[in-house]
Amino acid sequence: MNPAATAERPLLALSGVTKRFGGVLALDNVDFDLRCGEIHALLGENGAGKSTLIKILGGIHRPDAGQLFIEGRPVSIHSVADANRLGIRIIHQELSLAPNLSVAENIYLGREPGGLLGLHRGTMVRDAESLIARLDLHDIGAVGTSVSALNVARQQLVEIARALSCQTRILVLDEPTSALSQAETESLFTTLRRLRREDVGIIYISHRLEETLRLADRVTVLRDGRAVATRRAAETDRAELIRWMVGRDIREHFHRPPHKPGEVALRVRGLCNPKVHDVSFELHYGQVLGLGGLVGSGRSELARALYGVDPIYGGTIEIDGQAVVIRSPQDARRCGLVMVPEDRKREGLVMTESLAFNLALPWLRDWIAACLPNRRKRRDIIERAIAGFGIRAGHPEQGVDTLSGGNQQKALVARWMEHRPKILILDEPTRGVDVGAREEMFAILGRLVESGMAVLLISSDLNEVIQSSHRVAVYRDGRILRIVPAEQTSIEQIMSELTGGRADEGN
Amino acid sequence: MKAIRQLLPLLVAMAALLTLFGLWVPNFLQPENMLDLVQQVSVNAILAFGMTLVILIGGIDLSVGALLALVGTTTVYILTRNPGETQNVPWLMLAMLAGLGVAAAFGAFNGLCAARTPMPPFIITLSTMLVARGAALRFNEGRPMHIPDYEGLFLAIGNGRLLGVLPIPVVLMVIVFLVMAVLLHRTRFGQHLYAIGGNREAARFTGIPIAANEIFVYTLCSILAGVAGMIHTSQLYSAEPASGVMFELNAIAAAVVGGTSFTGGRGTMYGTLIGAIIIGILDKGLNQAGVHFSSQYIIKGLVILAAVYIDVRRR
Repeated sequence: MNPAATAERPLLALSGVTKRFGGVLALDNVDFDLRCGEIHALLGENGAGKSTLIKILGGIHRPDAGQLFIEGRPVSIHSVADANRLGIRIIHQELSLAPNLSVAENIYLGREPGGLLGLHRGTMVRDAESLIARLDLHDIGAVGTSVSALNVARQQLVEIARALSCQTRILVLDEPTSALSQAETESLFTTLRRLRREDVGIIYISHRLEETLRLADRVTVLRDGRAVATRRAAETDRAELIRWMVGRDIREHFHRPPHKPGEVALRVRGLCNPKVHDVSFELHYGQVLGLGGLVGSGRSELARALYGVDPIYGGTIEIDGQAVVIRSPQDARRCGLVMVPEDRKREGLVMTESLAFNLALPWLRDWIAACLPNRRKRRDIIERAIAGFGIRAGHPEQGVDTLSGGNQQKALVARWMEHRPKILILDEPTRGVDVGAREEMFAILGRLVESGMAVLLISSDLNEVIQSSHRVAVYRDGRILRIVPAEQTSIEQIMSELTGGRADEGN
Repeated sequence: MKAIRQLLPLLVAMAALLTLFGLWVPNFLQPENMLDLVQQVSVNAILAFGMTLVILIGGIDLSVGALLALVGTTTVYILTRNPGETQNVPWLMLAMLAGLGVAAAFGAFNGLCAARTPMPPFIITLSTMLVARGAALRFNEGRPMHIPDYEGLFLAIGNGRLLGVLPIPVVLMVIVFLVMAVLLHRTRFGQHLYAIGGNREAARFTGIPIAANEIFVYTLCSILAGVAGMIHTSQLYSAEPASGVMFELNAIAAAVVGGTSFTGGRGTMYGTLIGAIIIGILDKGLNQAGVHFSSQYIIKGLVILAAVYIDVRRR
């Protein structure tokens, strides 16, 4: 095909697309285009706006402003069905196959050939076989195999076959290689390169810069909801991409509390479970240890293992120099270790109840003796939490689901502070909270650390980790690669370690 | 205050039903008839109190009806083995403890399975329902077992009157209600249940022992089924292995009409009490109005549906 002609009228174009969630600008006037037979990579840190953009293409979100064009015609996508009709197919990181059905059944799921008298199984199998032959996806194997018998890489190929079995022009792949080995990644790339022949445009999303540069024709970098650069892959390099992804001087500043480390509060040696591999570290009183890693690197799993939510298979935990056995959150609390989980709605708060209920829940022993609730003590606990941590609520008895994300997050920290724990694990304390609440969150963190608490901070925002921690553990694939003093490292350096070759290849 | 606001629609519905049947059925509102009504409600109410706790933590217990029969047959079996053939209070105690022990064992098993395995409570208690029913039917080849006339104390449980006025079943129901209301609304245990039902994961992260609470809830529900079984058996003057069929569904209906949410985390003992009374009024009123029993089922089904629909819409 003539490259000049397709460049004039791209397969897909986004012009000035803006999307706001509450006070957060998820996409800010984004321009983007995709040509026929092109692999266009979309890069950016967590929260840069990649997933919002995909969801707009997939009809899950609608843009607040801006226009989408397909082959030059303005379109609006109101639903997943609209997206499919326009030939847009999204393959999510979590695959959406029915594991109990065969390959052929999955490919034609929802549009099985057949009439009133039932399924035309023979037709379906023949169609699936010819489709796989046409697309050269022979790795899938026999179409009668049950999908649950295939490994992840092959399941991904089934998803691709399914996407291309209907009139798909635009294929979006979200982190397709996160669960694949090196060899599987290579073979997926071969497949994707071949698909270019079919005049399909591919949007490819990944954290792994090197492989992205090898695969993609063009690269667009998103940062804080803005498309900061679009380049031909051949004309850029890793270092430049990282600079664009991380950005400079536009981030807010966090004040790291003064570092006055006391005794060792928590010593972990060789901690293992299926998601955590031989993790060792020390955490001192009056210190913040930041865990810097990408989403899916297993940081929350480490926190859950320490807090007794997930089982531990090996290794030791010492608190104040004493070996402790933590099999449940009750054990952890008894040892003075508490955790604020990542997902406020799922793991943090009882959303059907009031703010007061949630704040008083950890301290039932303090205000209910036998069957005599002490309303005054309960009120005092609640008031101390609300006043001490600046939770803004009309009334303590109002439903906790009516509070803003920032106030919910403050409530989750505040409710542990009636009796100060020794060690606090904060998992993504600023996810989904606005900038103001974020600052307050870190002011609270600073206060707690200055009072001598030991804090393990988990965040996907590397800027946040580096600026508010004293030491940073570079965490990848369930392992601590190394621990460095925060002042002696930079986002670029950590990002480079997190996005480079695989950790298990001796990085 | 909040509790009263939530109960208000239920109280209004109860008053409306009473007025309706008061106009429809002569003498419906006479004190003796009302007392009779409350007595008929007592077995279902006691079952429903236990069911409320189970539903509150997101579970269900289908085994209570069959368990009620098994407790009755177990107790009467031992009672009739009384060597003296006269009323023997220690022997009676033994028989009743055995009945309640069987109930507690079933409940603990249900709870253990629910807490420690991924099996859904619906299936667990469906199975134990069949086991309990089968066990009950093994007594006396499935035929009713008569309670000897000299067992005056046991017969009084279902038929006696306190001070010659208040039926004993009503007294027992009120005692169970008070204990359960205190347990749910004024203890740590009750707070734990609301937390577990509202958000199991969050309760776990808060350090609430979920398994222990869950096992206790199922055990308590079964023990209450045992208490209801004593009353029911005494009222019938015999233990009937085939009795208690569909009682679990009536108890669920009372809890749900009373505002207990099937998704867990919402519900009160007060609501369940009124729910049980509403269903009782409906049963007795339609009966006394001479409505054919086939129509009674249809009306009851529609009323439950309407009550739950209104409740869901109000949220």
